Amino acid sequence: MRIRSSSFSTRAFDAFILLVMLGVLFTCLVPFIYMVALSLSSPKAIINNQVSFWPVGFNIEAYKQIFSYPNFFQAYRNTIFYTVAGTAIALVLTVMFAYPLSKPMLRGHGFITKLVIFSMFFSGGLIPNYLLISSLHLTQKVWAMLIPFAINQFNLIILINFFKSMPAELEEAAIIDGLDYAGILVRIIVPLSTAALATIALYTAVFFWNDWFNGLIYLKSKQFPVMLFLRNIVTGTSMVGDAAGAGDKTSIAISIKSAVIITSTLPIIVLYPFLQRYFVKGVLVGSIKG
Amino acid sequence: MNTSPARSRFRQYWQLYAMMVIPLIYFILFKYVPMFGNVLAFRRYRPGMGPFGTEWVGLQYFKRFAQDPAFWRAFRNTLTLSLMNLVVNFPIPIIFAILLNELRNLRFKKIVQTVSYMPRFISTVVVIAILGELLSPSSGIINLFLKRFFDMEPIYFMNDEKYFRWIYVFVDTWQYTGWTAIIYLAAITGISSDLYEAATIDGASRIQQVFYITIPSIMPTIMVMLILNIGRLLSLGFEKVLLMYTPSNSAVSDIIDTLVYRTGLANQNYSYATAIGLFSGIIGVVLVSSSNALSKKLTGDGIY
Repeated sequence: MRIRSSSFSTRAFDAFILLVMLGVLFTCLVPFIYMVALSLSSPKAIINNQVSFWPVGFNIEAYKQIFSYPNFFQAYRNTIFYTVAGTAIALVLTVMFAYPLSKPMLRGHGFITKLVIFSMFFSGGLIPNYLLISSLHLTQKVWAMLIPFAINQFNLIILINFFKSMPAELEEAAIIDGLDYAGILVRIIVPLSTAALATIALYTAVFFWNDWFNGLIYLKSKQFPVMLFLRNIVTGTSMVGDAAGAGDKTSIAISIKSAVIITSTLPIIVLYPFLQRYFVKGVLVGSIKG
Repeated sequence: MNTSPARSRFRQYWQLYAMMVIPLIYFILFKYVPMFGNVLAFRRYRPGMGPFGTEWVGLQYFKRFAQDPAFWRAFRNTLTLSLMNLVVNFPIPIIFAILLNELRNLRFKKIVQTVSYMPRFISTVVVIAILGELLSPSSGIINLFLKRFFDMEPIYFMNDEKYFRWIYVFVDTWQYTGWTAIIYLAAITGISSDLYEAATIDGASRIQQVFYITIPSIMPTIMVMLILNIGRLLSLGFEKVLLMYTPSNSAVSDIIDTLVYRTGLANQNYSYATAIGLFSGIIGVVLVSSSNALSKKLTGDGIY
């Protein structure tokens, strides 16, 4: 029970927190609401500065425009491909590395683990990485987008720790039943690790979905991911399409830019509420060291 | 029968070793070959003659950048931006976590928490594109607001070097506060509720409980996070800076990473750029390992 005299300050404190939290909600959401409003507003309303948090002169012209624009479609397809293929490759390689590394009895286990950890502190840097990719003749190939990021050390360590935490009896029983290690991994370990694998898959998928810089330095324009396409629209390196020719250029560009922003972020925003618990799991598992 | 123990162990575990072969080759090729590729900083690069350069030139490139004002400007900018970021964005997630924990409506708490870490998953390109719209001098809502309520002339936020650093720092606040707070919230959840009950009986107000129970209890976590953040001091969000970079704000927005990018990839001075990158990489390693050692010494806890 609280003492009466403190009840006023308690209520003031509650009100203060409520206010701060509403402010946080507002700041987190407003940029997206504003983008949605802009993308659904008429160019005229945008020029006249009438749009704030609600579409003015509601229309879906901008969305029609971007979907009729072949480069956008291509870029969107590319991003889906990079995300799916990149995540699949990353999961397979990470599991194949993490499982043996979760067995301290293996020879070289300690040394390889040290190699992994050291590479988190010190890396090749931009230029040596670039020169490696180009001397492997991977530039202008989609592999340049997929391969260099297949094993992320943080994800690897999350998974190693997860595998280590599994009861050893499981494997012992499987070995007695005549399963070999490949069988154990495929039939027992992987099915029991879906939560950890989902977490890693999500991190990886978000990474590939959002990546643009590697597209910029390695790929040609037909292979660009959608984020690079968006970046080029924003910097004006690439035209928004024929739409920019008609009417007022800047205001049409604004609604179209906003439509590209919304469509390219939509998968993350839509899936996010359902998947967010996996994200949080990852950061907490990752923060516990092995 | 007469096999050595090592050999029988190998027979038992050969599948585990086999599994590792491809990932290990991959790891060496894509993590360690570029690491050794840093020798390029001491060697002359000739096109078509391999990524490791052709002949040794000693510290020539290091001497050159040490005399290059562009390097020192980038170095200063990196330090300034990092320190500002640390001073502003280190305490904010702690305050946020503490306040969030004091929310009594659990449903509302859950909603705020979920929404607050969403920005972490939005692409930097999208974040900067939205920022460009919000801050646009002709149509951005911020300038409209300033004009309507304060009758101010439009401000060219994205092009004016005056605003670059603060914009960078606050975008980081927006993107990472909720995410970073997860660690502190987890630490707060671990505090025994007995402490709060006892304090309530003794008549401590909730604000007093925050100062005398919550903050001291999460102090070890705060210390570890602070030391980790100092270790990562030089690693700024390179992509974000690159996206915010314009010729008119370059005096403050050119950091070491963007300098490496420009001299290396745009101007193809590979060896020179590698030397600059290696220099900041080594500072990074020194910072991380010394702050980690410090963390272990002070709190008995480090990252590795």
